Amino acid sequence: MKLHYIAMRLVKTVLVAIAVVLLSFFLIRLAPGDVATVMAGQSGYADEAYMKSLRAEYGLDQPVPVQLWKYVSAVAHGDLGTSYVRSQPVLTIIMERLPNTLLLDAFALVVAAVGGIWLGGMAARRPGSAIDNATAVLAMFFYSVPQFWLGMMMMLVFAVWLGWLPPFGIETMGADYTGLARIGDVALHVLLPGTTLALYFMASYARLTRTAMIEVADQDFVKTARAKGIRERQVARRHILRNALIPLITFAGLQASILVGGNVLVENVFSWPGVGTLAYEAVASRDNPLLLGIFIVTAVLVSLFNLVTDIAYSIADPRVELGQ
Amino acid sequence: MTGFARRFFSRPTAALGFAVFAAIVLIALAAPLLFARGPFAIVGMPLLPPGSPGLPAGSDVLGRNMMIGLAYGARVSLLVGISATLCSTFVGILLGAVAGYYGGLVDDLLMRVTEFFQIIPAFVLLMVLVAFLQPSLTSAIIGIALITWPNVARVVRAEFLSLRNREFVEAARTLGMRDTRIILTQILPNALPPIVVVSSMMVGNAILAESALSFLGLGDPNLLSWGSMIGGARSAMWVAWWTTTLPGVSIMITVLALNFVGDGLNDALNPRRRR
Amino acid sequence: MPLVSIQNLTVALPPGADRAKAVDDVSLDVGASEIVCIVGESGSGKSLTAHAIMGLLPRGVTAAGGQILFDGVDLLKEPADAMRKRRGRDIAMIFQDPMAALNPVVKIGRQVTEQIRAHRAVSEAEALKQAAALLGEMGLKDVPSLLKAYPHQLSGGQRQRVMIAMALSLSPQLLIADEPTTALDVTTQAQILKLIKRIQAEREMSVLFITHDFGVVADMADRVAVMRHGRVLESGTVGDVLGNPSHSYTRALIAAVPRGESQLPPPPDARPLVEVSGLTKRFRRGGLFSRGVVNTAVDNVSLTLSRGETLGIVGESGSGKSTLARCVIRLLDPDAGTVLLDGADIAHMKPGELRPLRRRIQMVFQDPFSSLNPRQTVGDIITIGPRIYGEDPKEARARAADILRLVGLNPETMNRLPHEFSGGQRQRIGLARALMLKPDVLIADEPVSALDVTVQAQVLQLLDDVRRQMNLAMLFITHDMRVAAQVCHRVMVMRHGKIVETGVTRDIFANPSSDYTRALVAAIPGRQTK
Repeated sequence: MKLHYIAMRLVKTVLVAIAVVLLSFFLIRLAPGDVATVMAGQSGYADEAYMKSLRAEYGLDQPVPVQLWKYVSAVAHGDLGTSYVRSQPVLTIIMERLPNTLLLDAFALVVAAVGGIWLGGMAARRPGSAIDNATAVLAMFFYSVPQFWLGMMMMLVFAVWLGWLPPFGIETMGADYTGLARIGDVALHVLLPGTTLALYFMASYARLTRTAMIEVADQDFVKTARAKGIRERQVARRHILRNALIPLITFAGLQASILVGGNVLVENVFSWPGVGTLAYEAVASRDNPLLLGIFIVTAVLVSLFNLVTDIAYSIADPRVELGQ
Repeated sequence: MTGFARRFFSRPTAALGFAVFAAIVLIALAAPLLFARGPFAIVGMPLLPPGSPGLPAGSDVLGRNMMIGLAYGARVSLLVGISATLCSTFVGILLGAVAGYYGGLVDDLLMRVTEFFQIIPAFVLLMVLVAFLQPSLTSAIIGIALITWPNVARVVRAEFLSLRNREFVEAARTLGMRDTRIILTQILPNALPPIVVVSSMMVGNAILAESALSFLGLGDPNLLSWGSMIGGARSAMWVAWWTTTLPGVSIMITVLALNFVGDGLNDALNPRRRR
Repeated sequence: MPLVSIQNLTVALPPGADRAKAVDDVSLDVGASEIVCIVGESGSGKSLTAHAIMGLLPRGVTAAGGQILFDGVDLLKEPADAMRKRRGRDIAMIFQDPMAALNPVVKIGRQVTEQIRAHRAVSEAEALKQAAALLGEMGLKDVPSLLKAYPHQLSGGQRQRVMIAMALSLSPQLLIADEPTTALDVTTQAQILKLIKRIQAEREMSVLFITHDFGVVADMADRVAVMRHGRVLESGTVGDVLGNPSHSYTRALIAAVPRGESQLPPPPDARPLVEVSGLTKRFRRGGLFSRGVVNTAVDNVSLTLSRGETLGIVGESGSGKSTLARCVIRLLDPDAGTVLLDGADIAHMKPGELRPLRRRIQMVFQDPFSSLNPRQTVGDIITIGPRIYGEDPKEARARAADILRLVGLNPETMNRLPHEFSGGQRQRIGLARALMLKPDVLIADEPVSALDVTVQAQVLQLLDDVRRQMNLAMLFITHDMRVAAQVCHRVMVMRHGKIVETGVTRDIFANPSSDYTRALVAAIPGRQTK
């Protein structure tokens, strides 16, 4: 493994994080009004003196470069600041919610990958058949549906009309399950939001797998494999599928960054206590440190995940060397 | 040109998609003529089911005519979807072409910027932009264009990179053609097919993004859009399914039609590729 | 009784193809222990005939009639699993491009043992031992590391030897070779052909060899069949068909193979128009943060070129000949050296100074399918050059009609798009485009390598005629020594970016002074059996 390359990538991650910090910092400056306006508005006090004292308390009356410098040096020490609204360290708040989002993401990713690859493989084996066309239409359908609406419809059907699954949250409120029972409870709650997220990506996986497998099946080395007299099932597995999976690895990496960043809607609809809902609340309350913190944490996570994907890719395809 | 049209319409899904999209455009354009009072007018009791007298699509939480709301909602979706995509495509082609053709520093810079947009949470950024620029049609269009142009740029760059080294482009250089002319007359016409396909899909995605924004309350407060209809009906969803289902289906049909058109364009512009 | 007897085989193409039958009522026998060649140009059906024997016809293509008797059994009627068992065990096949024919993500050792274990119940370790022995038999060195390598780490010749080893692993009675050397360098090609002949003799195997090159036929075959448009035009022993061809097409095919002997007079003595000195071009791979690998594609090359003469630059792939051509015409910027055109150094001129001089050097490219803009009409493609230099569009179009006639095309076709023309016609269009600017120097970069042999001969003749008529100085890049011998007055042999040898063509062929040139000349197919 090219340690040199991995080290360089980690450095790059840090650089990207800094770029994110800088850009976001200035982006958020665009906001007309700031936390002082919001809080003043909420509490009903709107006089100048109060707002001035609020601003001084949050350090907002200092020149911008000073604020930037203070912020960057704090981040370097792992301190993402304190939330304006919740009066807790930002990092703590995010870390509380992050596992929930990751759980949801992991579930969605696995379901999407497994389901999509299976469907795509079936479609590829019989191009032009009823199954192939059905998969294509289904895939189209799930690309075109607004995720939040899909979630609401699924909630309507499975939670309200059929009553099979719980509609909201990550666990049943007030039930205080522990151990295995808790896991089961959470698992039930994950099903609806997780499947909603998964359906869109499953469509992509199915189409990609199908295209990849058909393209690979046309290649000369598959012909060679058959010319060697190998059983068709082994040709499908070791020759076609093995090569078709390679572009899917890149796709999984792309998907992860979308998942981490795009969860806001599904989490909102299902009241899932994750980073997505946190982001929405932060936008609504102009809670800049929290918002910035979310950007940074997301960026770092995605960079790390991209690194993992690249490593996996170079393992899967021996023609590729890490660092190309 | 006619060969292209023939190939496109010979696919049933593409023809259907085109027809449906055209119908939606017509409805959107005709809405102010048909329903001059606008979608905010209260016409009766709230939450009346579809089929009630004068309310083919029922009434919403405030007693407004759902049908009129759906028609006006189409205007917002199409306006934002098409405008955002046009801006995004224009910027994407400009930057992608320069990066792909000249390579070097410009290309490196573009790749860094594209990576940046991939790494940060795109939808959160969109929310931030729209919220801080004050929610409106303009901020939605600008925001969506800003987070989607890297996708176009990436496709354009890839096409230009591959076409730049094709022999007919080399020939153009040996004939003494200047770079700008080569880009515009030799490479761009050949790079258009994938760009067109990507753009048509992007209109659908832009419509989805706009509906997500208005669902969360970040849409233009003066206009009614499909997303805001769904968002406003959350509490009524359990008892009046049409308040959320109908707008959602409208979004879905529009985006589906666009995606079918995109698929058809893909096949028609690349006749050698078999499904 | 022959080992393989193809009787009245017809192979149908799917609807929408340009013809209904790829193979039309073909009958052919392959006896035990003999080498039979099927020779033909592209679209002749020779490859599909071979695929039909193996039962490996592509999707949509079906055997619509006839029989293929192998040891008395009709293969077309064999059930799928029985046919599968025969593949690799009774009949084996090797393909044209060994890089594409090997699974890129599986180690070489595994790919060989996979075949062995598909037909015999042996352990992986035992199969690996057999594989190692086979690879050694094929002349491969350092077998233990080869077994653990991946295909992309081997050279073209090594990969083809691996393919052959796999094919032989179960001692099949018939080996089908579908253009196995077309994608290889000339010297490698000679080695592989020798290898195939050796193993055929050692194992007393039958070989069905598909090729488009009559030179290869002369070297390899016992019997030959000539195919065109899906039919067998004539067949017989090599001596009969080559010495006494009965069909006019066969005669044309044999005549089209360039002789390996130069018939051109020595070059006219003239002041050099182009003088290249010390030209060097390096490529660097790797970005800002990684250590780069430097590849010196052209290393200190010098040459001269006069009006009315054709200088051939001959080399195998990777020799730097194409890079050299592109440096001379300033499609690439050289790192060092000068290129004097009538005394002016164009190698380091700025684009502004260079532009007016560009029209004096023009180029004909290799790939007829990518050298013309698919979205422009032929008329536009040809007249753009003069129009850039300010010529009146109407005049340009009038001249274009003349030039098209000169290159053998009908001027009425000016408004058609490139895809409506054949490969040979497209090369003519490319030539017309170059000639419209009335250049002094014409660089032809492998102009006929992608063309069928009969078309190749016509285009070569055309290039020679044009050179004489317009008194051009021509730089001719090729990997095929025979072609160089036919059209070049002088020849320069390149290898790894350096010049190996330069001289009058006749001298170089008759008396090569360097070992490498000697190997190149010796590797010319068909030279031995003249």
